[in-house]
Amino acid sequence: MERLTSGTGGRPAGLPTVVPMEDESAAVVARNLGKRYGGTVAVDDVSLRVETGEILGILGANGAGKTTTVEMIAGLRRPDRGHVRVLGLDPRRERAKVRQVLGIQLQQASLHHALTVRELIEMFAAFYPDPRPAGELLEFVGLTSQRATRFEKLSGGQQQRLSIALALIGRPRVAILDELTTGLDPRARRQVWAMIERLRDEEVTVILVSHAMEEVERLCHRVALLDGGRLTALDTPAGLVARAGAGNLDEAFVALSGKEPEEPA
Amino acid sequence: MSSAIVARSPGPCAWLTLIRCEAKMVVRDTAGLVVPIGLPLLILVMNAAAAGEQVVVNGRTALDVHVLPLVFTVVPATIGVVNMPSFVAYYRRAGILRRLSVTPASPVMVLIAQAVVSLIQTLIGIGAAFAVALLVFDANLPVRPAAAIGAALLATAAMYATGMIVAATAPTPNAAVAIGLVAFFALGALGGLFGGREALPEPLAVLGERLPFGATVECVQAAWAGSAIDPVHLVSLAATIVLGGVISAVFFRWD
Repeated sequence: MERLTSGTGGRPAGLPTVVPMEDESAAVVARNLGKRYGGTVAVDDVSLRVETGEILGILGANGAGKTTTVEMIAGLRRPDRGHVRVLGLDPRRERAKVRQVLGIQLQQASLHHALTVRELIEMFAAFYPDPRPAGELLEFVGLTSQRATRFEKLSGGQQQRLSIALALIGRPRVAILDELTTGLDPRARRQVWAMIERLRDEEVTVILVSHAMEEVERLCHRVALLDGGRLTALDTPAGLVARAGAGNLDEAFVALSGKEPEEPA
Repeated sequence: MSSAIVARSPGPCAWLTLIRCEAKMVVRDTAGLVVPIGLPLLILVMNAAAAGEQVVVNGRTALDVHVLPLVFTVVPATIGVVNMPSFVAYYRRAGILRRLSVTPASPVMVLIAQAVVSLIQTLIGIGAAFAVALLVFDANLPVRPAAAIGAALLATAAMYATGMIVAATAPTPNAAVAIGLVAFFALGALGGLFGGREALPEPLAVLGERLPFGATVECVQAAWAGSAIDPVHLVSLAATIVLGGVISAVFFRWD
């Protein structure tokens, strides 16, 4: 991979980081991100640029650094190296602003178990100045008839769709969706995909962490392939297949990462 | 592009919504509701008759100066030390605090909303026990009402602070309930929950009087009897608040 050299690497400490003008048009810029947990390198020199309205898939085996990468982009984790801009903002230092425009669906985040779908939507709606109307959102994620159901009584797929709904409630301009359809049955998976296609039509920028080739192939403009914390490829789904000389994205994944793609849990 | 993005903090509407949601969580946790409302009433009913109507001091009966302080202390102690930490530990374990941290709301808001609901629950618990004591058992008002209210507020804050230590150190919601219950019974046993502290060995009795449960009982008792509150008990409660605040601030984890 070609290494970007205009990052913060050689800059004297203490000077404010200046984002090059070329980055101003991109929705998300991550430059030379690095993160270690103890002695383990989780993310090693990952640079990404996501254009406005683009859907970028992040693909990789377990432990490839996908979640750590998106959590650094979301400002949940502090990068050891490199920097992030979301709509030109630093997600840690300008946290409050970024929270207005960035919608996040976290992996394995539960919600108040005894509250109903409608109550949870009301709660999250109260955090934003111009939330999507509850009715529209429920229809969007197909939970209209579950609105009076408590979170604990929802199926896994319904919980997942509610989680996505809450990530989109504040009309984000950028959405990060981690493990979008893991654990969903094929029908629920298709419902979620239809939602993402509607986001694509609304020109929302989306970063999608995924295990599923079919999902990435169908939804994403480009795919970032992570392996052992490093970005090994960044291309369109068709480009990846061509580059690997493979017949499909599954084979391209194996060829480019040396690993079997995982089945969704 | 970024100039159009304004950081807006959630306003009063968000606070009210969060408090309403916390109230629903608390009300729907029926088991957790029974103890702080039911246990004090049980203690009251079981002891009221035996306490009799004999005046002990300043026109106040044994019911007023011995039973009521204990009853009123149990309410904030169960809510603050057992119930509230279990909610907080659950919110952390379930990833709810983390989920809220990626919205314009702060996870601190949910903790404050929980504390507000706990306070309302405490008022209801004390109110119910007091109403029964007044209407059924002819209890009397405190000789120094302002001191009683002040003691109750200070005690509630001290119980919350104790609960926040539990919430900060418990790794799981189950652990929070276990640690909370052990803490409640330990503080209670040393503070006179199972009979007078006179029955305890001297060092334990002194310790119990300085821990939040015993100190609360002493303060409320003094307010009811019209005697001066021993500063040592006020200092104990204030120290608990400071210590609990510091310990929970140091050890609290958001995820």
